[in-house]
Amino acid sequence: MKTTFLPSPYAFGFHTKDAYTYKSKKGLHKEIVADISFQKGEPDWMREFRLKSFDVFSKKRMPGWGPNLSELTFNDFYYYLKPIVSQAQSWSKLPKSIKETYDKIGIPEMEKKYLSGVSAQYESEVVYKSVQKTLTKKGVIFLDMDSAVREYPELVRRYFGTVIPVGDNKFAALNSSVWSGGSFIYVPKGVKVELPLQAYFRINAANMGQFERTLIIADEGSFVHYSEGCTAPIYSTDSLHSAVVEIIVKKGARVRYTTVQNWSTNVYNLVTKRALVEEEGTMEWVDCNLGSKLTMKYPSVYLVGRKARGQVLSIAYAGVGQIQDAGAKAIHIAPETTSEIISKSICRSGGRTSYRGMVKIVHGAKEAKSRVVCDALIIDKYSRSDTYPTMDIQEQTASMEHEATVSKISDEQLLYLTSRGINAREAQSMIVNGFIEPVVKELPLEYSVELNRLIGLRMEGSVG
Amino acid sequence: MKTSHLTISHLSAKTKEGKEILHDISLSFSSSKVYAIMGPNGSGKSTLAHVLLGNPEYTIQGSILFNLTNIEKVVTEERARLGLFLSYQSPVAIPGVSVVHLLRTAYQKTHQLMKIEQFMSILKQHAKTLHIESILLNRSIHDGFSGGEKKKIELLQALVLKPKLAIFDEIDTGLDVDALKVVAQGINMLKEFGTGVIMITHYKRLLSYIPVDVVYVLSKGKLVKTGNHQLASIIERKGYAGL
Repeated sequence: MKTTFLPSPYAFGFHTKDAYTYKSKKGLHKEIVADISFQKGEPDWMREFRLKSFDVFSKKRMPGWGPNLSELTFNDFYYYLKPIVSQAQSWSKLPKSIKETYDKIGIPEMEKKYLSGVSAQYESEVVYKSVQKTLTKKGVIFLDMDSAVREYPELVRRYFGTVIPVGDNKFAALNSSVWSGGSFIYVPKGVKVELPLQAYFRINAANMGQFERTLIIADEGSFVHYSEGCTAPIYSTDSLHSAVVEIIVKKGARVRYTTVQNWSTNVYNLVTKRALVEEEGTMEWVDCNLGSKLTMKYPSVYLVGRKARGQVLSIAYAGVGQIQDAGAKAIHIAPETTSEIISKSICRSGGRTSYRGMVKIVHGAKEAKSRVVCDALIIDKYSRSDTYPTMDIQEQTASMEHEATVSKISDEQLLYLTSRGINAREAQSMIVNGFIEPVVKELPLEYSVELNRLIGLRMEGSVG
Repeated sequence: MKTSHLTISHLSAKTKEGKEILHDISLSFSSSKVYAIMGPNGSGKSTLAHVLLGNPEYTIQGSILFNLTNIEKVVTEERARLGLFLSYQSPVAIPGVSVVHLLRTAYQKTHQLMKIEQFMSILKQHAKTLHIESILLNRSIHDGFSGGEKKKIELLQALVLKPKLAIFDEIDTGLDVDALKVVAQGINMLKEFGTGVIMITHYKRLLSYIPVDVVYVLSKGKLVKTGNHQLASIIERKGYAGL
C-alpha cells in the first residue's frame, strides 16, 4: 500500500483583485504603528497603548516552547491595509470584487437564514455590517472594534487589554500594537441574544498580516453566542494571522464563542484567546482548527468567581505540511469552580497535532473540579500526535480527571462500512466525522454541515 | 424480485500469514431458498461469509459467480451494491456514526434516492417489528449495545436494504427465547421480500422457527455434507461426530 502526499484541492483558494486606498510599508517599525493609529484617527490613549505595546513586543522573546517558529520573519509582512470602502451598511453598496469574494463563501444566504448580525471582515477593515434592529433595541452593542473605539471610548478603554495584558506573550504584544478590525460586543444585564452573532474573516493579499482584536463583555445574567469562520485564498508566500480575543463573563452570564478556522496552508495562525469568568458565569469555547500552516492556540478560562464554569471543546485537523498545536488552559482561582476540556485531533499525510493544555487549581479553590479528555486519531504512519498536559493542583479538596486515547481507523470498521456499499474513501471520512461528532454537535447547524464537508474534502486526497 | 444465484466453485482461502482456512469448496445458493451452514467451531463458516463479501484479509483461489458475473475480484462495496449482505457475528462499533446515518448512507449507495420522510417511516416500521426502541436508532452504531441489540440492528439493516442474498453469521447466539422469536419473524419477513437467506448457526433452535431448505455442513474448511432440514435434526441429536 502506498500513500501519496497530494494535498486536496483547496476549495476556497481563489482571490479577487485587490483594491486598497492605503497600504502600509512592509515590515514593522514604531513609525508604522503610529501611522496606523493616525490613519484610523484614534484617540491619544489608544495611540499610547499601541506604542507601549510595540516596545513590549520588541523586547519580548519568542516562546521558548512549542513548535519551531524560526522561519517566521516579522519584517516580511504588511501590517495595515485599508480597503476602498471603509464601511457599508448594505450588500448593494459593496464593490463588485469584494462582493464576489463573499458570494463564493456564501454569506448572503447564510445571513437570511441564520444570522442576526453580519460583520464580515475584508482584510483589516470591517466593510460590511448589518445589525438587526432588535439587537439595538435591547441595548446590545455589536460593532467592529475600530468603530467601538470611536463610539464607546469609555467602555472600550475600561476593558481593553485587561484580560490579556500586553506583556502576556510576544504575539499578544504584536496584536496590541498593530491591531485592526475585529468585533466589539456588549450585552446588557439580563439580555439574552438568541441567535449567534457572526463574523467572517478572510486574508486576501499576500504577506498581509491580519490582527483582529475582539472584546466581548457579557453583563450580569446575559447570554451571547459569537461565532467566526475563516476561509482564505492560497498564496505562495506565508501570511501571518495573530488575533487577540478577550471576554468578560460577569456574574451569572454565559458566553459561547465558536470558531471554524480554515486558513489556507501557508498561514501562521498565532492566536491568544482568554475569558475571565465571574461568579456562576459560564464560558464555552468551541474551537475547530482545520487550516493554516502552523496554529498555536490555547483558549483559556480564568475562573475567578465562586461556581464559575469553563468549557473548551476543540477539534484539530493536520494534513500534509500542517502543524496544529492547540489545547486549552483552565485556571481555577475560586471555590467550586468547574472546567471541562475535550480535545479531538486528527492527523494524516505527515501532519502533526499536539494537545498542549494546562489546568491549575490554586490553594483555596475548594472543591474545584476539572476534567480533561484528549483523543487523537492517527490516519497513517507518516503522521504524528503528541500530548503535553500540565497539571498544577494546589488544593486538597479539588478533583482532577485526565483521559487520553490514541486510535487508528481499524480495518474492521472499514470492512463493516464497505460491506454496506460505502466506498473506502467515504468510509474513512465517515469514521473521522464520527470521531469528532461529540464536538461538532455543539456547533451551529451551518457550521457543522460545512465542517463535515471540509473534513470530507480533506480526506479525499490519498488512500493508496 | 428475480431469482438470484450465487455459485462457488473450488474455492480456497488463505489468511495473509498463509494459513489455509477454506479448502476446495463448491456449493451454490439461490434467493428462492433458505440455507443453513453448520459445522463445529473453527470449521471456516465465518471465513466463508467474509470471503463472499470480499474481505481483503483473505487471498482466494477458485471462482465466485453471482448472477453469471465473476465477482472474486470485485471490491466489497461493489458486492454490497450487487445485493450481497452480511450480518456480522460480532459487529464493530463506529463511534459518532448513528444507526440512522449509516443506514441512510448505505441505502443511497445501494438503491435509488428516497425522501428522508419516507425512509424514516420505513425504518421506524421495521424497528417496531423487531422491538427496537427508536432511541437506539440515533445512537452510535453498536457502541455500547447489548448482544441482543447488536443482532437486531444487523437484521434491521437487512430489512431496510432488502439485499438479494443475506448471510446471517450466528444471529441466534446469545438471544433469549423472546428475542429469538422476534429475530426469526424478521428473517421470515425478509424471505417474503424475496431475499435469499443464508444462516450460519450452531443450533437447530433457530431453524425450528424458520423452515430451511438446504443444510451445508463444513468441517476443517471443507464441505463435508449437504442435506435438507432433517440433517439439522440429526446433528442436534448426534453431534457432528455422528455424521
